[in-house]
Amino acid sequence: MTHRRQAVRGLAAALAALVALTAAGCSSKAKTGDGKQTGAGGVQTGEGVTDKTITLGALTDMTGVYATLGKSVTQAQQLYVKQVNAAGGICGRQLALTVRDHGYDPQKALAAYTELEPKVVGYTQFIGSPFVAAVKPQVDTKDKGLVLPQAWSASLLGSPYIRVLGATYDVETINAVDFLLKEKGLKSGDKLGHVYFEGDYGENALKGSKYAAEKAGVTVVEQKIKPTDNDMSAQVSALKQAGVKAVVISAGPRQAASLVGVAAATGLKVPVVGNNSAFAPQLLGTQAGPALEKMYWFASPSLPIGADTPTAKKLVADYQAAYPGDSLDNGIVAGWTAAGVFGEALKKACADKDLTREGVDKALLSLKAHDAGFGMTHDLGDPKAPSSRESVIIQPDKSVPGGMRTVRQPFVAEAAKSYTP
Amino acid sequence: MSETLARSGLRVRTPAVYGWAAAALVLVALPFYLDRFWLQAGLFAMAAALGALGINLLTGATGQLSMGHAFFLAVGAYGYCLFAGDGTDGLAGLGLPGWLAAVLAVALAGLAGGVFSPIAGRLRGAYLGIATLALIFIGQHVLFNAHDLTGGYNGRAVPPLSLFGLTFDDTELLVAQVPFGAVEKLWYLGLALLLGGFLFARGVLRGRPGRAMNAIRDHRIAAGVMGIPVARYRAAVFVLSSMYAGLAGVLLALVFQRTVPEYFGMALSLEYLAMIVIGGLGSVAGAVAGGVFVSLLPQLLTRYSDALPLVSAPGTGGIAPGEASRYLYGAAVVAVVLFLPGGLARLAVRKPKSPTTQSPTPTITEPSGETR
Amino acid sequence: MSTFAEFLINGVSLGSIYALIALGFVVIFRATEVVNFAHASLLLAGGYVTAVLHDEIGFWPALLAGIAGAAVVGAAVEFFVMRRHRGADHSVLAIVTIGVDILLATELTRRIGTDILALGDPWGDAVLTVGPVTIAQTRIAALLVAGLLITAFLLAFRYTSWGVAMRAAAENQETAALMGIRLGRVSLGAWAVAGALAAVAALFLTVFPTPGLERATSLAALKAFPAAILGGLDSTTGALVGGLLVGITESLATGYQSDLAFLGRGIGDLAPYLVMVAVLLIRPAGLFGTKELARV
Repeated sequence: MTHRRQAVRGLAAALAALVALTAAGCSSKAKTGDGKQTGAGGVQTGEGVTDKTITLGALTDMTGVYATLGKSVTQAQQLYVKQVNAAGGICGRQLALTVRDHGYDPQKALAAYTELEPKVVGYTQFIGSPFVAAVKPQVDTKDKGLVLPQAWSASLLGSPYIRVLGATYDVETINAVDFLLKEKGLKSGDKLGHVYFEGDYGENALKGSKYAAEKAGVTVVEQKIKPTDNDMSAQVSALKQAGVKAVVISAGPRQAASLVGVAAATGLKVPVVGNNSAFAPQLLGTQAGPALEKMYWFASPSLPIGADTPTAKKLVADYQAAYPGDSLDNGIVAGWTAAGVFGEALKKACADKDLTREGVDKALLSLKAHDAGFGMTHDLGDPKAPSSRESVIIQPDKSVPGGMRTVRQPFVAEAAKSYTP
Repeated sequence: MSETLARSGLRVRTPAVYGWAAAALVLVALPFYLDRFWLQAGLFAMAAALGALGINLLTGATGQLSMGHAFFLAVGAYGYCLFAGDGTDGLAGLGLPGWLAAVLAVALAGLAGGVFSPIAGRLRGAYLGIATLALIFIGQHVLFNAHDLTGGYNGRAVPPLSLFGLTFDDTELLVAQVPFGAVEKLWYLGLALLLGGFLFARGVLRGRPGRAMNAIRDHRIAAGVMGIPVARYRAAVFVLSSMYAGLAGVLLALVFQRTVPEYFGMALSLEYLAMIVIGGLGSVAGAVAGGVFVSLLPQLLTRYSDALPLVSAPGTGGIAPGEASRYLYGAAVVAVVLFLPGGLARLAVRKPKSPTTQSPTPTITEPSGETR
Repeated sequence: MSTFAEFLINGVSLGSIYALIALGFVVIFRATEVVNFAHASLLLAGGYVTAVLHDEIGFWPALLAGIAGAAVVGAAVEFFVMRRHRGADHSVLAIVTIGVDILLATELTRRIGTDILALGDPWGDAVLTVGPVTIAQTRIAALLVAGLLITAFLLAFRYTSWGVAMRAAAENQETAALMGIRLGRVSLGAWAVAGALAAVAALFLTVFPTPGLERATSLAALKAFPAAILGGLDSTTGALVGGLLVGITESLATGYQSDLAFLGRGIGDLAPYLVMVAVLLIRPAGLFGTKELARV
């Protein structure tokens, strides 16, 4: 047994040596200071900021279930960074966007967050609200870097560092129901169908529709579906049986297309309104295209990509030049808006000579009326509320760039004003 | 273990012992040097290895195909939250001490396996594989719908484990000037669990039960004739494998600090099957190697996507790192069975020069089984 | 009542598509005793070829190309992978098909990307209305085609030499080989046929009422697993009955989900699996599966 004892003794000695080594500062992990420095231009800097670059992180999904959204958001943000850099950067520094694709896998998402955390000042994009929820305690207590999730669930509100841009799903749904009430003849005593995804998005939206329905004396007929369901025949039959006068759909583009297609074909001729995630321009090329143009609308937290504003027109032109052949959708607007908000916060932080995470967080809270150029202003002063309660109603239309035409300009429904999540 | 060492003689053993000691030393020292990303990746790999040990007992050693492993991981992870949660977040919680909750969660996973045993004991091979698919779907349905228990879509927060007065959370603990957060502390817990799980699985496979399991795999009828209670064994191995999965689930939950239902889907079950095939079916060391390989591969590719040829950074077209890792491990499964039956474990056995060095692959013909 | 009829007809037509996919499993299982987890990718491959070609060469030629394409992919999998380890344990072979599935699915989803591809079928969104019941024409086509194909297979199994060879191979591989049956050819044929059936199923899974072929289409093939198992993996009749059972269960559970709300909403996807577990508890070999008799 001597060799064993030797080994144990050797191990102990080596361990002691190791502890001595780290104590002497050989491990780069050993604690030294708080990481804040004063850099070029007398600006305080922290994680992710050097004298030359400001590094931002993007945790996206380009190979998983949200690939369509992730691709547009990421490319728009890459475009934003390119343009800012071409114009001289922010605070005398160039922006760098480090993108990690997690493919909607929680393990990869968490790993990517952890990997980028020491390297970036914040995240312009984080797709997947469960993953945002997973890192929330860490963000709130330790990391304190800004995270702009590409999800509009009310459950993400409340953190001073994780900020939702635009109306949350519940508020958006209230606005959508308001559109049905005001313009599509839905009235007290009617039945309203609501087809929704299981999970955060759908259930948050359901809260909104129930609230709005109660206010208006309408009853909601629920149909819960899964993201893998592509055929809405059974749902349409059930809704028809229940005698609904209008339908809200809080699901993906495919489900919306199937629902509207089946409803049109089987004689359930009622208006259908979706949330902003329930439409993609690709749908107009499918069988359901004509029906969608006729009886489908959706609510969105900003004007569509094809809107008639200077920012939108320039973005469309630049985007098409940078990514020829890629379709135009509202993910581009969302990505661009988020990157713009982050850039604005950085500029403000620079003016305050504080580019640390705390400085950027503070700068963001002072953005009370940020206009992203898509029809509405964002108030980022209150972490407990969405940055805006406004929605626009959009109708699919092949003849417009991006396939979307605004039919109701930014508005907040009465019910949405009084609503608290 | 010590008898084996003593019996096999000092001269031959010494280099191996030093090799193991060096490896152990490196593993123990890592938290002092690696940053959080690597430690987290390592912990994911350890959890994967633990789960792979379990399914290896079932699929590798007993020949029972299971696609429901992810379900039992979920039972472990959510079970831990249920027992340890204090109910302050509005979700059901019993507020038990962390260590007890962990033990109970593993037991719960075993119980869940036991409930499924009327099916697990009677079906075999592919039939069982598809029947266990049902577990995944049932699991997902419950995770999404039993809101009070699971927190629904966004999952629930995982209370930190405390053991002997040490709490495995992010409160900093300075060890030799190095701040120890959750991952650093959990690293040692993970190592201990993996070592324990490894030795236990090896013990099972080298002893009587292991031989019985292999006999069932190789010839079910002959095994029955020889007096092995086939159905009972199948059910028991299923329970054991579920408990391993439960333990892996607890560890994963502690690393994630949040349980997310999305994670426990079919893809995860398939990953575990890939692990044991790549590692080497029926081999304990192989299961660990396969677990580490499959869980580290995507993370490495993602991290170094900028530097690798063929793989392109997301958003630039071409093959994304996530896709590249799926190609690689899909190809690895096919290639291993084609060209390297026995998996990575076989590769390791071929290498050592000394012929008397004991193989890390336990097979029933090996004399070392007698040490028990 | 008319709603019930609608659910039922929907379920039957959906079930007939599942039956087509399940039949593919059964054909492969009978010839080689391997459960093919790569079936979902064969389906996606067939659909993809059809979707890509229909604009240039028209729908019917594209459909034929899709069927041929999926058959070739199936045969290639058999020839380059499965054939290399015939004789290995069947569980191991099943896991190999998982590896193949990962490879094929990754490649196909990468190609499809974020698109939703239309298949250019001639039915469009036309519906047939009989009294109070409306049903999509595509679904009627699916029902007819599936019924035709399955009948053809039942007959082929019984009367053609290929069918006899396959049955012999399933019965006892060694004896079959000794009788001069080329096992390689039988299993190659089985894989090709399974691919072709999957391509037909892909067509009906992606036309109206669903929006088109996209990366998640292959998930629908998963529903054929319980169909094949509850019918009995080695029974063609079982595939038909299993497929119909799964389709009807799913359709009814989805349609009446408000009445089943106590089970949690969205029970439709789960119901086929619950039926499967219940059947397996009573009949471990499925409804029509051959009970294994062990002679010692």
